[in-house]
Amino acid sequence: MIYRLHHVTTYDYAEPVVIGTHFMHLLPRERPGQFVREAQLDISPTPDNRRDEVDHVGNHSTTVALAGVHKQFVVALSATVEVEQPAPPPPEETLRWEAIAARAINDPDVAEYCLPSPLAAPEAEIADYAAVSFLPGRNILSALLELNMRIWMEMAYRPGVTNNCTTAMHVLKIRAGVCQDYAHLMIACLRALGLPGRYVSGYLCTSPPPGQVKRRGADQSHAWVACWLGPDVGWVDFDPTNNLLVRDEHVTLAWGRDFQDVSPLRGIILGGGRHSLRVNVDLDPVLT
Amino acid sequence: MHRPVSFDEMIDWQGRIRGPWVPVMTAVREIGPEELERRTAAMNRQMGLAAPFGTAPRHAFDPLPIPLTSSDFAVLEAGLRQRATLLNTALADLYGPQTLLRDGSLPPALVLGDPHFLRSLHTQAPLALPRLSLYAADLLRGPDGRFRLLRDHTGVIPGLGHVLSLRRAAAGTVPELFRSGGLRSLRPAREMLVDHLQRKAEGGLVAVLSAGAGAASDTQSLEDDALLARALGILLIEPSDLATRNGALHMKTLSGLLHVSTLIRCISGIDIDPLEQGGRPGSGIPGAFGAIRAGVLAMLNAPGSALMESTALRPYIENLFPTMLGEAPLLPLTAEGDTACASKAPFACGENFTAAPFCFRLFAWHDGETWQVLPGGLGLPLTPPDADTPALGIKDVWVLETEEPRLIAGAPPAEPPEHVKFLAAAHLPSRLADNLFWLGRSVERLEAACRLLMLALPRLESGTSLPRDIAERALIARCLAQARLLPSDIAGGSVSGRLLRQTLTRRRPVAGLLKEVGRLVNASSERLSPSMLATVRFALHQAAEALPNEETALPTMLSFAATFAGIAAENMSRDGGWLFLEMGRRLERGETLAETLAILLDAPVERLEPGMALSIELADSVLSYDLRHAGILAPGPVLTMLLADTSNPRSLAFQCTALRACLERLGADDDAESARLLLQDVVNLAGTATGLRAPLATIAAKLRQLSDHVHRHFFTLLPEAHTLEDEEVLEAAL
Repeated sequence: MIYRLHHVTTYDYAEPVVIGTHFMHLLPRERPGQFVREAQLDISPTPDNRRDEVDHVGNHSTTVALAGVHKQFVVALSATVEVEQPAPPPPEETLRWEAIAARAINDPDVAEYCLPSPLAAPEAEIADYAAVSFLPGRNILSALLELNMRIWMEMAYRPGVTNNCTTAMHVLKIRAGVCQDYAHLMIACLRALGLPGRYVSGYLCTSPPPGQVKRRGADQSHAWVACWLGPDVGWVDFDPTNNLLVRDEHVTLAWGRDFQDVSPLRGIILGGGRHSLRVNVDLDPVLT
Repeated sequence: MHRPVSFDEMIDWQGRIRGPWVPVMTAVREIGPEELERRTAAMNRQMGLAAPFGTAPRHAFDPLPIPLTSSDFAVLEAGLRQRATLLNTALADLYGPQTLLRDGSLPPALVLGDPHFLRSLHTQAPLALPRLSLYAADLLRGPDGRFRLLRDHTGVIPGLGHVLSLRRAAAGTVPELFRSGGLRSLRPAREMLVDHLQRKAEGGLVAVLSAGAGAASDTQSLEDDALLARALGILLIEPSDLATRNGALHMKTLSGLLHVSTLIRCISGIDIDPLEQGGRPGSGIPGAFGAIRAGVLAMLNAPGSALMESTALRPYIENLFPTMLGEAPLLPLTAEGDTACASKAPFACGENFTAAPFCFRLFAWHDGETWQVLPGGLGLPLTPPDADTPALGIKDVWVLETEEPRLIAGAPPAEPPEHVKFLAAAHLPSRLADNLFWLGRSVERLEAACRLLMLALPRLESGTSLPRDIAERALIARCLAQARLLPSDIAGGSVSGRLLRQTLTRRRPVAGLLKEVGRLVNASSERLSPSMLATVRFALHQAAEALPNEETALPTMLSFAATFAGIAAENMSRDGGWLFLEMGRRLERGETLAETLAILLDAPVERLEPGMALSIELADSVLSYDLRHAGILAPGPVLTMLLADTSNPRSLAFQCTALRACLERLGADDDAESARLLLQDVVNLAGTATGLRAPLATIAAKLRQLSDHVHRHFFTLLPEAHTLEDEEVLEAAL
């Protein structure tokens, strides 16, 4: 599927901002199953300094410095991206989850996703919650699909009850939140089992396939989870907010251990007073 | 279990004093135990002067060195070089291609899960300086006389400031120790290090990055940071002095933003960049990581280098020597229990000596081509301090030139003054200028309050109801209220002198003023020379001791103020720092004088006499007035002396002239012009004897305006920083 992506974020400040520095993960990365035909990030006002980098896991980051006084800050991403995640093998052909855990911790490209991170650290209660789906000897894909569905069913999608510092442990307690919280809970579950869980930030197609309900988390930044299924299969993505196995409705921006590694837009400003924020996301298929 | 006998650094197996120790112990005998104890105390005082906060617990220091023979040092030097080379190579790999993880040399989880592994600095290209550019190792000498490695320091290097300063303090207090000569100087090494850093900085600023006095970090490391900056002759700065502009780091100074290219990092690398790592925007340096990755900022050491201090990784690192360097490690690691039989050296303990186990800390830096090892170090006592005995002191480790130290006559040449060429006046950090400005103000405020109280207290005591006394009391009460020493509701009415007095005693205004002076002395201490700081702190201490009774303490307070003024006049060079101290003082004195005179001279000519008398007394001008005018109070001469006489340091004209001179030197031409106009106003005013209140109040207001202006001009007030995160994006309703 080929998508045209537009994501415009506008900050309006009540007071002038004297200096602003922003660190962004807003340019879509390359990955197996995703090809970025073109992507462009426009910043207004024009930054006095802009630095585009690719980090050690292949994410694009952009740092901008705005030294002139301004009352509005606009970041506009437009991109054309081709996505087609390969279908995973049938569940019964995937490895036992214990075998994955044993390999993952010693694989330098995977190990860090097995380890606790600030927002997705495993705790005893999380391990108990996860263990229900991960019975000894079970193949990993069936277990993952079940966990994905359980989180989708047992959580209430409720914006405003969490923020970007909310930990997986807290999410498990309140059983509510937004896509970011669904993802952190699932990642912490995987880590509690010694499995690698990766936080993926991106977008979801605005209009659902014909005849299906509108997805949660479209029209905004979205987040989901990837788990490593061994060297042969690689990483497979799950969207617990929508109980989906990610195929061709998701465009990936960046990935990390949790939200904090890949926060789409973080800034430190001097001045500004109160601000208001407008976000507009469109991810529409390009008809070919 | 049999425990081997600890190696004795001083006494050999036959019970003889080892060669290198002979001159040291000869000097000790010559000085005598009592004198040595006094000298030790003196040396500790001298080292303590570098501490930013005088009251905090500090390290103790021991003047007796630990001499190392050149052959012992050669072993250590080779070992440190080898270790530093390996650790830097490992860091470069772990923050780069990570082959050590891929080939299984190091377990990925131990590296990637370490809080000191900062993934933001995992880069493709190398940084401007090696990730490890400074290194220190703690070593023990075992019972067999061989050295073993206790721990590595690869992040912040503790003690570097102390090692570069300790010897100078010892040479000043116990010069007898240095008579035999033959020890290797640290000076060439120190100068090479500074030169290397300055060369790499290519004109950018090189500074020591410290947590700063405001941070809740331990004062011992702040003292070390301050000593390091002083020893290297470079600036000591805090994260709040820095700003990122256009992707590079700058220091906020009086002359604007200065590009900072190299920082000796004395704060943890974790949470150093709130922009990339999250955390409070007020702490740390937003954008530091980006600048490091782009190569426009170098830190020694790079954030994340403390990874190599991990004890979990240490056994794996040992195995890297053969694979990465093709050599066996020269310094074996300590085994469990080794610290219990570390070698011993005599430590001063009151008038006696006690043989105590210790470890050596040696330092190395990378000079762009190779690792250089500092020919000297610290001897750190391993005995845990307990309540009953005083803490054993840190020692200077000497490296001797030859095996047989020669006796040569005379003390070694004194070390030259520190590099001052890098400390230009215009580079004064805004924070320091601000502190010095308020220090000047607060000392003057203390002095003015004490003068007023000394004038007021005896007069409030006398209970007479003569009209003149009543008039005086009323004037004094108004002055006390104006100076905020009394609440205005009490001062305004016809309250008895006794009640006013009681209120003053209860409110203890002087204690608060003195505390503020102390705080600002600490905050400005890096711009006051050690001897100056010692004198000021001693005087502060005396003033604080006298405080319980504020009335009897007043002369001590004035003596403190006089000491401070004398020191500032005689010991400070007239650079940026002094100018701000001076401006603060002149503005405060001018404002207070104008406000007080507006009250005291607020009367018709025929009833001006009591106010004039008080004014003259308050301005400490009784004697000069008597000499010039035979004691007869007349408005004309009094006003001239208090307002227009530019030779009287307590006149308004003097303050305006001094302010103008400061502002001109700082290039603040508009403000200098304001000061000139004020001077004119003041001189003109001296010609009139009536209706002085309003014009004097206007002058006070104009001085306050000028103060605000100076403040805005020099201490750029930036709005508070806060974080902007896209939480709203994720929380947006469906």
